[in-house]
Amino acid sequence: MSPIDRRMFYHVNWRLVGVLVALFAIGVLNLYSASGVRLGDGVQVENFYQKQLVWGAIGILGMAAFMTFDYRRLNALAWPMYVITIVLLLAVPLLGKTVMGARRWLDFGVFSFQPSELAKFSVLLLGARLLSGSSERLNMKELCTVLGLGALPALLIIKQPDLGTGMLVLLLLGGLILYRGIVPWLFRTLCVLVPTITPLFWFVLKDYQKRRILAFLDPATDPLGSGYHILQSEIAVGSGRLFGKGFLAGTQSQLRFLPEKHTDFAVAVFGEEWGFFGMIIMLSLFCAYLYQIAVVARDAKDPYGSFLAAGVFFYFFWQILINMGMVMGLMPVVGVPLPFVSYGGSATLVNFCLVGLVLNISMRRYLFKQT
Amino acid sequence: MKNLLSASTQVMPRFGPALLQFLVLGLFLLFAVRLWYLQIHLGPVFTEKSRNNQLRIEYLFAPRGFLRDRNGELLAVNEPAFALGLVREDCDDIPDTLEEVSKLSGIPLEKLKEIYTRNKPKVKSFEPLVLVPDMTFDTIAKVEGAAVRWPGLEILSRTRRKYNYGHLLSHVLGYVAEANEAEMQADPSLSLGDFVGKQGLENTLDTRLRGSKGKRLIEVDVTGRRLSEETQGEPKAGEEIFLAIDLGLQQLGHKLLEGKSGAVVVLDPDNGEVHALVSEPSYDSNMFTNGLSSAQWAALRDDPLHPLQNRATQSVYPPGSVFKLVMAGAGLHEGVIDPSETVTCSGELALGRHVFRCWKHTGHGTVNLQRALVESCDVYFYKLGMKLGVDRMSAFAKAAGFGSPTGIDLPHEKGGLIASREWKLKRFGVRWTKGEDLNMAIGQGYTVVSPLQVARYIGALINGGKLLRPSLIKGQPPQVTSQLPLTQNQADIIKRDMVATVEDPHGTCRRIITPGVTVGAKTGSAQVVRLTEELRRMGDGVPYKYRDHAWMAGFAEQGGKRYVIVAMVEHGMHGAAAGPIVKAMINALFIGKRELPPKDLEGGERPANGPAPIDTVEPQFPEPPIPEPPQEATAQ
Repeated sequence: MSPIDRRMFYHVNWRLVGVLVALFAIGVLNLYSASGVRLGDGVQVENFYQKQLVWGAIGILGMAAFMTFDYRRLNALAWPMYVITIVLLLAVPLLGKTVMGARRWLDFGVFSFQPSELAKFSVLLLGARLLSGSSERLNMKELCTVLGLGALPALLIIKQPDLGTGMLVLLLLGGLILYRGIVPWLFRTLCVLVPTITPLFWFVLKDYQKRRILAFLDPATDPLGSGYHILQSEIAVGSGRLFGKGFLAGTQSQLRFLPEKHTDFAVAVFGEEWGFFGMIIMLSLFCAYLYQIAVVARDAKDPYGSFLAAGVFFYFFWQILINMGMVMGLMPVVGVPLPFVSYGGSATLVNFCLVGLVLNISMRRYLFKQT
Repeated sequence: MKNLLSASTQVMPRFGPALLQFLVLGLFLLFAVRLWYLQIHLGPVFTEKSRNNQLRIEYLFAPRGFLRDRNGELLAVNEPAFALGLVREDCDDIPDTLEEVSKLSGIPLEKLKEIYTRNKPKVKSFEPLVLVPDMTFDTIAKVEGAAVRWPGLEILSRTRRKYNYGHLLSHVLGYVAEANEAEMQADPSLSLGDFVGKQGLENTLDTRLRGSKGKRLIEVDVTGRRLSEETQGEPKAGEEIFLAIDLGLQQLGHKLLEGKSGAVVVLDPDNGEVHALVSEPSYDSNMFTNGLSSAQWAALRDDPLHPLQNRATQSVYPPGSVFKLVMAGAGLHEGVIDPSETVTCSGELALGRHVFRCWKHTGHGTVNLQRALVESCDVYFYKLGMKLGVDRMSAFAKAAGFGSPTGIDLPHEKGGLIASREWKLKRFGVRWTKGEDLNMAIGQGYTVVSPLQVARYIGALINGGKLLRPSLIKGQPPQVTSQLPLTQNQADIIKRDMVATVEDPHGTCRRIITPGVTVGAKTGSAQVVRLTEELRRMGDGVPYKYRDHAWMAGFAEQGGKRYVIVAMVEHGMHGAAAGPIVKAMINALFIGKRELPPKDLEGGERPANGPAPIDTVEPQFPEPPIPEPPQEATAQ
């Protein structure tokens, strides 16, 4: 069988592709507005939306590439990828370059690269491999093994410091564990233990991280400091009311009261300009998108594919939950972007590739039937 | 590890897929509810907050209305002034900036810090805090050069009130100054640095003169940079108001009172318009707009000559013989006298153990009402006072407008005092005595009146009995506050007697006779202290503060024009001090001569070092009155 079978084209999950295109289109449109800054003599638009379009085009190529091979071959790559990731993460503190106070990048001369991006993918592959072996619920020993393997890269990333990505790696793995299931007594124990232990992590957090959490709990204490982001974001979203202030007419974003408006808070611009009406449409699109991935996970031909798709589901689910929750004042400020809406080159590329992986799993369920 | 890693079984996870779908539903519900809460439920709140972020309000100042005299002469105008303000939000380092401002303006740093801390709570955000209210051109030039290096410093262009005749009209116009906390609380349209009228017409006409401020909405970005402006409501300039005051007369009045303390009122009896309202000594209204230092203010407030006091409306004096015009009215009204009835004046009247003397110790002989007024016979009025009694006297005096403010458009007017039995009992706990009736009848005792009240009463005598509200504004419809309880015939009797006082060879006002003009008047000299025999013997050498106040109240008419003129000179000794002032006014009004009277006719000149005048509000009341000093022709 050649890598690309003509028949596969007919089995592409067009619903998922359709939702993806709609989300990306809205995202770019919103970025156009979010890139605008009103000056005394008119609106100056920066070129983030153009760059995002270029990255989208590259992403579609990546997505196509991820559809070409049989996803089951990734199974063999799980351990090597994991080891490479750990090595690169260890290399970051020694060789990495410092950007804005955090050492996250490895500079390879031609391009820079964040090993933490690779870590998400490695943990996804390893998690799917380890957990798809059986349908039994996880017991204590298995849980510790899987969590331990995931915690190693996660801690290395949090040390960089990059709390957002580190947490995302752990949450992704946690999602997969829940997807598999845990033995009831252990599940109940964890339900009690996790909320008890989590506050202890307070002492591990950096000062700026503590401030963000305090600001989240009570934005009014420091409206010009840490609470500023949350407050301005809520003002932007809230002042959109039912139908929004109109495209390019959001004062919170155009007059730069909203911080990080083309990256982490891009969806606040959307909320301000399109109102409740627009936000419900975007939320529905995200839910349709997640639902399509969930369906792929459910209908996958084999457990490995199912776990891979579920991993991708959680990868997107947590980012949507954390980012939108932050913008709406339900979560503290954590640097997690919103897929397809926030500007970001490598993140866009990775997102498209992961959709490619899901499409890969989706279309091969038919091919297997025929072999 | 083995069972974990071996992918031998092909059993799909059982609960996983359902979990994923449940999570999608949960995500949707959570965010949908939160969005509804933020955008629909709290939408109006956040909309308001976003507007506050984005919009700042700037007020456009309306020029204060000009004030002109009745002939159009400009009295109060506006001139440009430049203030130095600090926008705190734009300033990087406030202590350093204050230090720089201190260097540029020469104002001590401590003072600037005090101004800054005092005004900080009052200034709204992004509004400039005024550090230097009025900069010299030298300072403006320096600040303009330095402003680039000191963000937050702003030169504010404002207007400042300018009084063209600061000294001549200070008691009429008053002055403006920056609004204080209480005034801003009372009127939300006022903001820090706005000028409001504090005294005089500037105060009573404040809302008309102020106009209304314009409002401009300014859209700013997060750095405070202005992006657009939208004017919502243009500023409406304050009204230009023509005063009833005649600047020429006012100027003449001040000239005539120069070096003395006193007041002159010129009133049109037919419409109540005040053509001159002079009070000396005065102050310069411009001092207040330029910002008065506390030392300057203290000097003005504590000046023993009380220059801030408007002696025509805020000072009250015993009326002396001028009050005989009121008592004549009371007698006629109550029907206790007949104009033709005569009384014999032997020079004194005995009541119990006391002997009440007439000022003319030799007596006036047989006098009727006219003679009693013309020669100011005290005994005639002692007898009238005995017949009337305090109740009827004070009832008529009150009906004649005494004892209560006239209602002129000036703040803090005094009403004076007309005593009554009840008042005395309450005030002193002692009953009214018969002797006090006699004192009251010749304008001594407790009675105190303002020059303006006297002018209004005389106006009513000649205008058909109408007590008008005096008006400082030209062209207002006359306001009749009440009617004098006299018939036309009774009023005419008094008016005729006043004319006789001027025209009769023995009249006390003979000197102000003016050919071709009908003039009627009455003099008065009011004791401020009971003169001892020793003091009395000193004659003209009596110390300034013990000398009597000099009054002359009269009217003049020619053709259709008529005016009431009242002059009052504190410690002017006798009518001779006030008479020339009235005469000069009549000349100015009817003959067009605005010349000063010869110097030798004047009296009541203040000693150069300005001794403390005794309190004119609560004069000391002599129990048996002593005679009025002569004021007639013998002085010539």
